[in-house]
Amino acid sequence: MLECKVLTREVYEALEGVLGPENVSQEPAILDSYAWQPAVNLAKEAWIYRPAAVVLPQTVEEVQQLVRMCNEHKVKYKAHSTGWASWGGPGEEGVLQLDLRRMNRIIEIDEKNMFAVVEPYVCCSQLQAEAMKRGLNCHIIGAGPNTSQLASVTAGWGYGWTGLATSYSGRNPLGVEWVLPDGELLRLGSPGSESGWFCGDGPGPSLRGIMRGWGGSQGGLGVFTKCAVKLYPWPNGPAQVNVKGVLADATTEDVPSTHKLYYLFSPSYEKFGDLAYEIGNAEIGYIHCKGAVGAMFGLLAPRAMRKLLASPATRAILKGFQHMTLFMIAAHTEREFAYQEKVLRKIVDRTDSYILDNSHLPVHGGFWWGVNRSVFPAMAFRPGGAFITSLGSSAEYDCCVRQAKIGEKIKQEHIDKGTFFDDMADCTWGGIYEGTSNWGHLEEIAMFDRRREDQTEEGRTAYLQATTDVSIKNALGFGLSALEHKMYLKHGPIMHDYHRWQAKIKAAFDPNNASDGSHYIPPIDELEKEIEGTNGS
Amino acid sequence: MSLAELKRDMEGCSRCSHCKWTPHLQIKSWRFAKGCPSVDRYNFHAYSGGGKLNMANSILDQRSELTDAVAEVVYRCQLCGACQVACQAYRDDIDLADVLLEFRATCVQEGFVLPEHLDMIESMKREDNTVGMLKADRGVWAEGLDLPDINRQQVEVLFHAGCRYSYDEDLRGIVRTGIRLLRDAGMDVGIAGREEGCCGGRAYEVGYQGEMKNYAEDMASRVRASGCKTLITPCSDCYYTFKYLFPKTGQGLDVKVLHITECLDSLIKGGVIKPEREVPLKVTYHDPCHLGRRGEIYKEWHGEDKLMRPVKYKQTGKLGIFEPPRDILKGIPGITLVEMERIREYSWCCGAGGGVLEAEPEFSAWAAKDRLEEAKDTGAHALVTACPWCERVFNDTVLETGDELKVYDVIELLRLSVEGE
Repeated sequence: MLECKVLTREVYEALEGVLGPENVSQEPAILDSYAWQPAVNLAKEAWIYRPAAVVLPQTVEEVQQLVRMCNEHKVKYKAHSTGWASWGGPGEEGVLQLDLRRMNRIIEIDEKNMFAVVEPYVCCSQLQAEAMKRGLNCHIIGAGPNTSQLASVTAGWGYGWTGLATSYSGRNPLGVEWVLPDGELLRLGSPGSESGWFCGDGPGPSLRGIMRGWGGSQGGLGVFTKCAVKLYPWPNGPAQVNVKGVLADATTEDVPSTHKLYYLFSPSYEKFGDLAYEIGNAEIGYIHCKGAVGAMFGLLAPRAMRKLLASPATRAILKGFQHMTLFMIAAHTEREFAYQEKVLRKIVDRTDSYILDNSHLPVHGGFWWGVNRSVFPAMAFRPGGAFITSLGSSAEYDCCVRQAKIGEKIKQEHIDKGTFFDDMADCTWGGIYEGTSNWGHLEEIAMFDRRREDQTEEGRTAYLQATTDVSIKNALGFGLSALEHKMYLKHGPIMHDYHRWQAKIKAAFDPNNASDGSHYIPPIDELEKEIEGTNGS
Repeated sequence: MSLAELKRDMEGCSRCSHCKWTPHLQIKSWRFAKGCPSVDRYNFHAYSGGGKLNMANSILDQRSELTDAVAEVVYRCQLCGACQVACQAYRDDIDLADVLLEFRATCVQEGFVLPEHLDMIESMKREDNTVGMLKADRGVWAEGLDLPDINRQQVEVLFHAGCRYSYDEDLRGIVRTGIRLLRDAGMDVGIAGREEGCCGGRAYEVGYQGEMKNYAEDMASRVRASGCKTLITPCSDCYYTFKYLFPKTGQGLDVKVLHITECLDSLIKGGVIKPEREVPLKVTYHDPCHLGRRGEIYKEWHGEDKLMRPVKYKQTGKLGIFEPPRDILKGIPGITLVEMERIREYSWCCGAGGGVLEAEPEFSAWAAKDRLEEAKDTGAHALVTACPWCERVFNDTVLETGDELKVYDVIELLRLSVEGE
């Protein structure tokens, strides 16, 4: 049996006193259900550290009590919402896991001012379903609708299918309720001055940069217990969609006449980039994402794909469709739709691209609903159950295209070594943000099966290091490769020592180092030792 | 099969938690978004389908041990299969429901059993039924119907009432009506009467897998003796046992197996049964798990790597019985059928399955209450279903809560339309 650090009887009984025995557990097998985290985990084993106990708070007051107890008894804690990926779990032994699933209410939907206030365990599709009843929509990160709306906007990083209309996670929080690492309660933005939840930056304290910065603290800086998120127009969209099926089998007749999906195929990376710029400049569209032909076929028909890709001729033909964009128009009126489609066709012509009108395909309805609900990314589990992502800095879009180009080469080398499944090195995900600004991201996703001997931890680590190194060498920006695995040691020195500033913030806000920061940053004294060790080696 | 043989399935878990939710394409509200009664009631991740995979994997890796606390988590599950539907939408290599079954078998092998389940197994051994009644009374439900007895004569169709319908006096009228409708339609249908036995499926589900073998053999011998070509049951649990568990354990019956709603629907469509009287009622239909997603026929596949298993062998739940009961209702004049949010293969469980009704009746009622709330949300005046276990727990819960919602079996409404009050 695995022997792990446990809480003292005194602490455990105190937890039971706060929450009741039914909401506290230290049963090893139950704790191990929290220690299985295959995502954001390069290791051979998917097991991470087993928590010392798990607790299920329901109110912000309970969270405060738990956090204060942890500070008092020198027990580290880590909160998660829907709990996907290793950053939601302990980064060391002896950590108390706060599972926030009983905090699951939508507190408010303010239709007029277009925002919603949610608790941590409201998943994206729950909020989206309620928003759509009111003609509105929300941002859903690429990880999918099963994830927490609150966690993605306060503590993580993610871009979603509708990013053209709804941007990325970090642009979506408004007012935030935050239990600081020592248990003090802070309300950021307008709720901080009791003025409602409509603004994240005032009247009231604005600490957005500290709260999440670009990439979020991954639960390493206290606990977020409520937040307001932006809602967006759902132009002429149905309040509820009548759909048959559960995923790839889905069909629906409810596609509004002012909505349509297209595949746009460009002859080169350069033209693919030009197409995106022109779309952004023209301010058209609702969804703009890089399509990936290798990934698409690989996920829809993984068995067939393994055989097909063995044929160089098939491979060459499929590569001809590589520079693909998934694009959707969602217009308020027929006239607006006609205008947008006309503009799109002109742009496609100008960029030597061509257009496949998806509405001619029988799958259009189901696919339309699937992308709007963001259900497809989890299909990346299908080939082998796991994937990692890399590159993907938020940048001027030409830089993103460069990342995709370079990422493809690096990934192909690792596919050739057997580290990842063969998707023709074509599994780039991302698009442009916010309609007009011509910035966006393209991340490189690589799929693997931890159960296979040939797809090794060493191979995965080497790939992530390689994508980080290439980002630095080619000035590609600070992407997803940089968020984990102590990559701050590489990026920090060339980015104004951001890691030192982060670590100072951590120390100031978390004087007892109670909030498990293993996926964020260590306190400054520990970081200095790490840096010293790195320099020494 | 053993738990160890499913280790790769467990190791494949991505911990995405789709198993906790209604498939996200189908989520229509905050209120009815959840898919798994177990984790929704008890909250720890371990209660979810994925969490149970993780626990089983932990035990196989010898990181932790099977204990009373773990067994409690394992048994607080209706085996409704909602987790598997959500999981298999994405995955080809995880047979989640099989892991849940094997986990229970391991609990039993290791001596982690529940007294209520032991009582049920004793009742099955002693009196051949799951509900603690006398074997001698098994055929009482059919008294006065003058049905052919397969112990004395051969028939085209064998009717298997199942334990709940045979003994539950509140539900007896349903099964009597059902077989009368079949007889009136000219079907040569007989029963085993007192000699009918339990299908054994409930024993398999609560972990006593070996016990089902005797019941399967008995069933096969009755089927052979009757000379029937078709086996019809009104019980969705028995239906699941015949369609899935028997073939899965190499004991498939060599006859056509139908749920009574399939048969009645076909007789209506063929013009043999004519529902002509108005039944003015707004209803919603509850898909019984073991008739719906779990009623999908077992698909045998042999191979090492499930990633290479063709999709047609996956138990996605789509091939369960969904349309026949609905078509019967739609064919009854005056009935307006409105759908709940969670239906078909992503339906919410009534709470009664998997031995939960016997061991954790409060949990059963908790799940049933959630379903009744969903039914009321449609504006329906009645909840209709096609399973005696669902009907039992819904009726009891309505009685407890004082709800005005009526609970019917499809057969009852069909009778009103065919025969009147």
